[in-house]
Amino acid sequence: MKQNKSLETPQMAIDKSARFKVGDRVRVKDMPYLFYTRSQMYTRGVVGTIAACTYQDLIPEEEAFNLDGQVEQYYIVRFRQKDLWPEYPFDNDTLQTESPERWLELVSDESGPEQERKGSE
Amino acid sequence: MSHTHTHGDGGADHSHRAAPMVEEITDFEVLEIAVRELAIEHGLFTAEEHRRFTEWAESIEPAAGSRLVAKAWTDPAFKARVMEDAVKACKEIGIDWAEPTGFGTPSDYMHLVVLEDTPTLHHVIVCTLCSCYPRPLLGMSPEWYRTTNYRRRLVRWPRQVLAEFGLILPPEVEVRVEDSNQKCRFMVLPVRPAGTENWTEEQLAEIVTRDCMIGVALPRPGRTADVHPVHKARRPVHSSPQHGEAAQ
Amino acid sequence: MSSRSELQQQQEIIGSLQPAIHSPQNWNYEVAGPLYRAYMHPPHDVGGQYDVPVHYEEKEEEEWELNTYVTCEVLGWKGVWTAEERRRRADNDLGHTLYFGIPYYGRWIWSAAKMLVDKKHISLAELLAKIAEVKSRYETKQITRNPSDGH
Repeated sequence: MKQNKSLETPQMAIDKSARFKVGDRVRVKDMPYLFYTRSQMYTRGVVGTIAACTYQDLIPEEEAFNLDGQVEQYYIVRFRQKDLWPEYPFDNDTLQTESPERWLELVSDESGPEQERKGSE
Repeated sequence: MSHTHTHGDGGADHSHRAAPMVEEITDFEVLEIAVRELAIEHGLFTAEEHRRFTEWAESIEPAAGSRLVAKAWTDPAFKARVMEDAVKACKEIGIDWAEPTGFGTPSDYMHLVVLEDTPTLHHVIVCTLCSCYPRPLLGMSPEWYRTTNYRRRLVRWPRQVLAEFGLILPPEVEVRVEDSNQKCRFMVLPVRPAGTENWTEEQLAEIVTRDCMIGVALPRPGRTADVHPVHKARRPVHSSPQHGEAAQ
Repeated sequence: MSSRSELQQQQEIIGSLQPAIHSPQNWNYEVAGPLYRAYMHPPHDVGGQYDVPVHYEEKEEEEWELNTYVTCEVLGWKGVWTAEERRRRADNDLGHTLYFGIPYYGRWIWSAAKMLVDKKHISLAELLAKIAEVKSRYETKQITRNPSDGH
């Protein structure tokens, strides 16, 4: 019987160190998708801030097909609503959602993305 | 129904007789029975396991979340433990996220995050992709939470949707939508309202309704129920109190 | 057994169920990029799409819905599938038409049935025979009350 991988002991679950830390500015990459993803369209290409590191687990694109692959770090990313929706009128409002690491890239400043370790993507 | 017929037409089509009266059963009811019986016949699970999980499903209720909030309001050290490790803190109010399997339910996992409101920060929760919900603490999700309508609109027009629930917040308050799209499960810890000084935990729990812990309502003295229209079932669950409705 | 007229009526309903963008000939030779993405878009990703205010209501749970939820979770408990596979199947694989059309727990039980067949736990023929048999339980209860027998 196969258990949820994220319920394994911390020693077993962590086989990759987290790339991002709380406070990092990250952009959600608009990667190709087919059949299944849990990375929402409305966050694609938007820059947010890492709000929390949560756990390490399989990515949905693999777990949903019963593939026992590598685990990777998940993060809660916080966005300004004004950055997500063109017409959003309230300055203070925010939205948070969770993302596995591979969907995120580090942004060095507000003016544009700086893709770290581009060759390894 | 048409009763035209011709005798001697081979007799294969009996539409000239009224259809046999059947005890009304829907196609999904039939499919559900078929799947469950085949699964048991093939040894994928036992009827006893199905019964045991049903028992757990009927035991979960929002009163557990209410207890957690009331305790967090009255006991700052407990609140700190909730914010540090919410799953562990749940055990103190009698909720074990590992139940009933011993390693958590397949859908709810064991990554609870409690979102603490402040006077300038209001959280509201949605799962845009399906209807992920902290069942061990809040019971079954309300129907509206599952709808494509709520899931489409809350992330983009949160203040409009909240206004429809009767909750209007000033622009200075940050409305933060939490889209629970992965394995974390979320619950709102609302701000303790004025007028509840010296209340007992039981009194406080009474005003912390399920809607307050999703973030579509604010707790206040005298408000002890979430009022929504209820669509009745054709063949409801008989044996236990309805879960998923406001139990307050 | 459905009558011929019932089957013809069913045919009409099947024929009128179309993808949202109807054209006189299906299977376009080319599909522009945005339309390709629209077709390939996972149905469950609805956040930010337009919709109108509605009366949000509670719903009393049907017996079959509770049983469905428990069956799906117990299949997960026993390692037959994971909740993630259920979401992939019930919220995406079944396609836009069923996703928006059938009941919430209808998608759950549909995906459980499809999974059992896909993974060869049961055969489709077996499932169909069982469905027929379950239906007949409800019909045979009333067989002695068939009006043509002059009850």
